[in-house]
Amino acid sequence: MRAIRYAFDEAVGSLWRGRQSGLLSMATIAVALFVLGGFLLATSNLDRLSLEWSRAAEISVYLHDDVTPADRGDVERLLAPGGAVAAYEFVSKEEALRRFKLMFADLAATADTLDDNPLPASYEVRLRPSADAQGQVDGLVDKLRASAGVSDVRYDREWLDRLLSAVGIIRRVGLALGAVLTIAAALTVANVVRLALDGRRDELEIMQLVGAPRSYIRGPFVMEGVLQGGIGALAALTLLAALFLATRARYLAPLASAVNLSSIRFLSPELCLMLVAGGMMVGCLGGIVAATGRT
Amino acid sequence: MIETHHLSKLYSRGVYALRDLSLTIDKGEFLFLTGSSGAGKSTLLRLLLREDRPTEGTITVAGRPLNDLSRDQVQSYRRTVGFVFQDFRLIRRFTVFQNVAFVMRVLGVAVAVQQRKTFQVLKWVGLQHRMNALPDDLSGGEQQRVAIARALVNDPQLILADEPTGNLDPDLSLDIMNLFREINAGGTTVVVATHDRELIRRVGRRAITLDHGRVVEVA
Repeated sequence: MRAIRYAFDEAVGSLWRGRQSGLLSMATIAVALFVLGGFLLATSNLDRLSLEWSRAAEISVYLHDDVTPADRGDVERLLAPGGAVAAYEFVSKEEALRRFKLMFADLAATADTLDDNPLPASYEVRLRPSADAQGQVDGLVDKLRASAGVSDVRYDREWLDRLLSAVGIIRRVGLALGAVLTIAAALTVANVVRLALDGRRDELEIMQLVGAPRSYIRGPFVMEGVLQGGIGALAALTLLAALFLATRARYLAPLASAVNLSSIRFLSPELCLMLVAGGMMVGCLGGIVAATGRT
Repeated sequence: MIETHHLSKLYSRGVYALRDLSLTIDKGEFLFLTGSSGAGKSTLLRLLLREDRPTEGTITVAGRPLNDLSRDQVQSYRRTVGFVFQDFRLIRRFTVFQNVAFVMRVLGVAVAVQQRKTFQVLKWVGLQHRMNALPDDLSGGEQQRVAIARALVNDPQLILADEPTGNLDPDLSLDIMNLFREINAGGTTVVVATHDRELIRRVGRRAITLDHGRVVEVA
């Protein structure tokens, strides 16, 4: 405990004495984590968007006009809730026509002129949100397509797959960029801590000569890195939050409504904690790199 | 207390700083190491402080074979040794009090104990009235007293001093030597390296003269 207290006191003192170079490394960490946090903010909201869109995904199963009750029974057995299916609804030919007229009022009169109702009966199937266990849904679609009495199965997931792959790309780009910036930040911290270390060479020499434990010799430098990382991460989060609040009403809320997302949210408390812990770890790493081999 | 057997230290450029040195220093002894520059005095002190390892031979202090100490054992050993250098090696941004207390601070000693022992030792070297001064505000003699206080504060069993009077005038040198004598009177083994033969004569203790890393005289 005394060693931690000593390391903390010395690190705070050293940060204050070398505040100009300390600010530089804290700013570097803040930039790295701001970029990483920005990407996390974007991808966490895109994840929610894809989840909400996935929930809205449906399968339409169109039936032949001459479908027999036995065929319908087979189809309904496949659609029994459980597995990928949350619920389904049978839409008769008459109901389909009624909905068509309701949806396209201008064409309602034209539809009345037809001898037969051209619209097929169908099942509208809602999927479970977890049913993006894609294999399960694909298997169901294949079975439905092969069923007697089924003329067509519409399950247009292409747009959702594109969104998911775009989220994946954005996440990977963000992580790669964040990783590069984080390495740069760790190196900056290491150099700044090394400067502090060089400025205290006389102390270190005495510490080594009197047999001070390594925790006392290296601890202050590692702690200095941790503090720089933590402060940098807090600065990044503050900046990100300020930017989020400033743009929420004017840009983010309309954007959310345009893409049918309930709301655009800031990073979760867990992600915020992870960013701060990440910043502290980067700083710690920089401190260790600086102290190792020189003390 | 200290035993060396056929101790040699060869530097990379092929020069022997110590050669086949075998000597014994008793517990509680006050010993001078003397000789001209390059005789090997400082090298022997470096080996005794375990800042360096011998090339050949063994060195034992209070039963500890210094050749084989692990890093942790070196730390533990150094806590039993006090050191004083010609250039004082005080930390310039620390006050006198902080310089002395620093040793205990980095060894994790409780603050109350640090303060009590620091004050006691500063009083003993006669500098309690200068405890808030910075090293640069002190004379050479005062700075060396601070260095001695720092060496003493951890109650070492061995004090190593490398040319402790090298930067001081003869009167101050004798004052400093008297401090070492008092330390020694308390039972602490003291080894002082100096090339000042007049000072050795005035103090009147055993002196080992080195030349090119070998013992040439014991007086």
